[in-house]
Amino acid sequence: MNAWTEHVSAALLGTQRRPPPSLPEAPAGTADPAGRLLDQAALLTVRRRAGLLPGTAEPVAPAPAETAPVVPPEAARRLAQILAGERFRVLPEWLERAAERGYRVPPRLLPDLLEKGRTDRGLRPLIARAAGRRGVWLALRNTDWAYLVAVGEDDAAADPGAWQTGTRGRRVAHLVRLRATDPAAALATLRETWDREPAPDRTVFLATFERGLSAADEEFLEAALDDRGQDVRRIAADLLARLPGSAYGRRMTERARVCLRGEHRTVRHRAQRWIVVEPPAGHDDAMQRDGIPFHAAERIGDRAGWLREVLARTPLATWTELFGMRPMEVVCLPIADAVDHDVHSAKDVHLGWARAAVRQRDAGWARALLKGGVVVDEVEALADLLAVLPAGERDAAAADLIRWVEGHDDLIRTLDRIPGPWTGELADTVVATLLTAARRPDAARFVSRLCRLADERLTPGAVSRLDEITRDHANSWPLTELTETLRFRHHMLEELR
Amino acid sequence: MLGLAPDAPSVKASGTLARPARWSGTGCDEDAVWGTCQGSGKSAYRASVDLSEPAFRCSCPSRKFPCKHALALLLLWSDGPVPEGAPPGWVTEWLTERRARAGRRVASDTAADGARPAGTRDPKTAERREQRVADGVAELDQWLRDQVAHGLAHAERAPYHLWDDVARRLVDAQAGALAGQVRRLASIPRRGADWPQRLLAEYALLRLLTTAFRRRAELPGPLAATVRARIGFTLTHEEVLAGERVRDLWYVAGSSDAEQDRLITRRVLLRGRDTGRSALVLSFAAPGRALDASLVVGDTVDAELAFYPGAQPLRAIVAARHAPPGRRAPRGTTVEELLREHAAALSRDPWLDRWPAVLAGLRLGRAGDDGWHVIDPAGHALPLRTTDPWRLLAVSGGRPLTVAGEWSARGLVPLSAWQEEDGLVIL
Repeated sequence: MNAWTEHVSAALLGTQRRPPPSLPEAPAGTADPAGRLLDQAALLTVRRRAGLLPGTAEPVAPAPAETAPVVPPEAARRLAQILAGERFRVLPEWLERAAERGYRVPPRLLPDLLEKGRTDRGLRPLIARAAGRRGVWLALRNTDWAYLVAVGEDDAAADPGAWQTGTRGRRVAHLVRLRATDPAAALATLRETWDREPAPDRTVFLATFERGLSAADEEFLEAALDDRGQDVRRIAADLLARLPGSAYGRRMTERARVCLRGEHRTVRHRAQRWIVVEPPAGHDDAMQRDGIPFHAAERIGDRAGWLREVLARTPLATWTELFGMRPMEVVCLPIADAVDHDVHSAKDVHLGWARAAVRQRDAGWARALLKGGVVVDEVEALADLLAVLPAGERDAAAADLIRWVEGHDDLIRTLDRIPGPWTGELADTVVATLLTAARRPDAARFVSRLCRLADERLTPGAVSRLDEITRDHANSWPLTELTETLRFRHHMLEELR
Repeated sequence: MLGLAPDAPSVKASGTLARPARWSGTGCDEDAVWGTCQGSGKSAYRASVDLSEPAFRCSCPSRKFPCKHALALLLLWSDGPVPEGAPPGWVTEWLTERRARAGRRVASDTAADGARPAGTRDPKTAERREQRVADGVAELDQWLRDQVAHGLAHAERAPYHLWDDVARRLVDAQAGALAGQVRRLASIPRRGADWPQRLLAEYALLRLLTTAFRRRAELPGPLAATVRARIGFTLTHEEVLAGERVRDLWYVAGSSDAEQDRLITRRVLLRGRDTGRSALVLSFAAPGRALDASLVVGDTVDAELAFYPGAQPLRAIVAARHAPPGRRAPRGTTVEELLREHAAALSRDPWLDRWPAVLAGLRLGRAGDDGWHVIDPAGHALPLRTTDPWRLLAVSGGRPLTVAGEWSARGLVPLSAWQEEDGLVIL
């Protein structure tokens, strides 16, 4: 026990019970024991403070040199504002733009940014792209930010050892990476350990085959249809439905051709080509194996549900061949029900095709279904078709779609499905819609919902036209807010040139 | 500009407010910006900023300084949408008042210790006060000895008023600074396993102070001044200005705000480039009132400081500025130099609880489970005292940088860092 701790114990007990320890170097003073203890403690305290010696510590290894430049200072200031909570929803756009332009986040903002990624998984890949090598270096030192090491396109995912020894997340990252560069190698890698993987792992691993999917994967996927895991079977069937040339596709074609056939009818003395629909009469194990569930996910009859599923998984070339027509012509054919005239299968057929077009990424069919004006009461299905179109056509097609859709609710649901940025004709149409709605006093709720959708997606270029509307409706908070956000985004994107 | 903000929520709030729609009657001229901000409710706040210092005023009740309205106004002004114009009455009034005050800064020595204008002191009053303080200090001395006689163990469960009662009596005895120190003691017990050590150290240093005060007649002049300041005797600006003055290029190393007894204290640390002197500029404000924002962290200011007298002068006021502030890399010391400087300062003023530090070439590192440390080029390490080392670590990237902060025997509290790539970073 040293002099200081002796004094502390004496003070804790009290000098009434224990006399103060002696300290020869202290000047002799009061006779009062408590006073003496305090005087000696003062001496020891100052001595301890003044006599402090430096210690030793192990320095952290320096971060690897960066390859990307830091964003310009104005952009850094704006990021600080966003991270502090201002218009926080634009953060993904900031990160994406910065990464696109080959910039990285300044180191001082990394802790705040990485903290956001803790709670928001959606941000993580974007953070990984913009955080630079300093980000990964920092994340390695704080377990809360370990996610960045897993998603980072750093050496971790490229490390061949990741597959043998990594966590599930690391292994998925490894597969995703490999599928992008060498799908066949990814297949071989997964094949090696497939039988030993538990079902939840098989599910997430198989899901990575979405990337780089080709006929080379067919055999493996076909075998996976007999997997013990239900989710594995479902994913295998969904993937096979994207491979039109497969045996799976031929089985579906067979089923589908029983359901749909062409027929010549004469209506008002004119010969017409009709499609006559007969939904599947029953469900069997083979259908189950190919991913057609007995109970439809939607609240429709069993037979209608099976019909939708079958068509959604049938190669679309089936119909152009069967009718000898182009997709646009097929879409416009009138549809009749074979037996029960009260049942309207037309909608099921169009929906089935729409889903098939999305799955098979068939732009011709997507265009035909959008132009044909069918399934308008299933606006989500139509909006999904937009993604299949070539980028140059999307805005115009989306604008057309918006003009067709009736009712504010459907409009919101449609726009909700169209990812940003909304530019060109689509932007014009949205602004025009806002203009019309802003004039109607009963549409305030719609304006507010539309503004909220538009603030992240509408091109900031629309701000000048919105300014005019906002001037006329100065008391509309959502419009003002939308204009302010667009202006904020405009400056933000300018700063990241 | 956001470097002027007191904390992150203010930055956030000011961003939301910095939109033309929220403001009316905005305008600016060469000296000032002003405007009226629509608050969340019915209230509207008048905010104005004197651009020359900068100084802020706002009619809102916020305790933060500068408040979000003043910050938002500045943001708005820097973005451009503030038209030029002639200031309205309430702005000119404030500006004239400010200028007038700057002219005779004397009268209002920092609100801190209830100082009085110099003129009102007559010898009789001073004598009476001296006696009152002496009585109060003697009472404190008795109380300290009682605590130690009965044992510190009982402090573990003691209620707040054990300390507060003593502090109140010291306020009555007009020993304000001493009262504040006693009140702070209440937070020590039960906080960390080493609380008995810290409590004993504080009691012991207070006892040293009471003893020193009792024997003040025997002390050399500067030490007596130190003792009187720590008891609560204040000086007027004039008295300080008449004392030691040092002109240098002062690096504004860090700033921290703390609230006690409904008073916000801002501590700004300065380090002289050529003299190597450290200085501490305090400013005080009641909640909602203007805190001094004229020293911006990271700036280097060519100024003359007037130091408060004492055995180890540290507290100072800015007596004169000679040039607009600039930005340049600070000069730092090594760990060994800091410790030597600190020991020398303690030998002159044993009551110093923290000492300004600007350390160059520091790397960050860890010492076992003992947490984060800073390590200087010679390999000497000091513990960091912070719950959030991450920004410092991120900025360093594992490479050397200059760190400024406050050093005490419990560790270095980092306040700012300077590094080639990013320049200054406030921590």
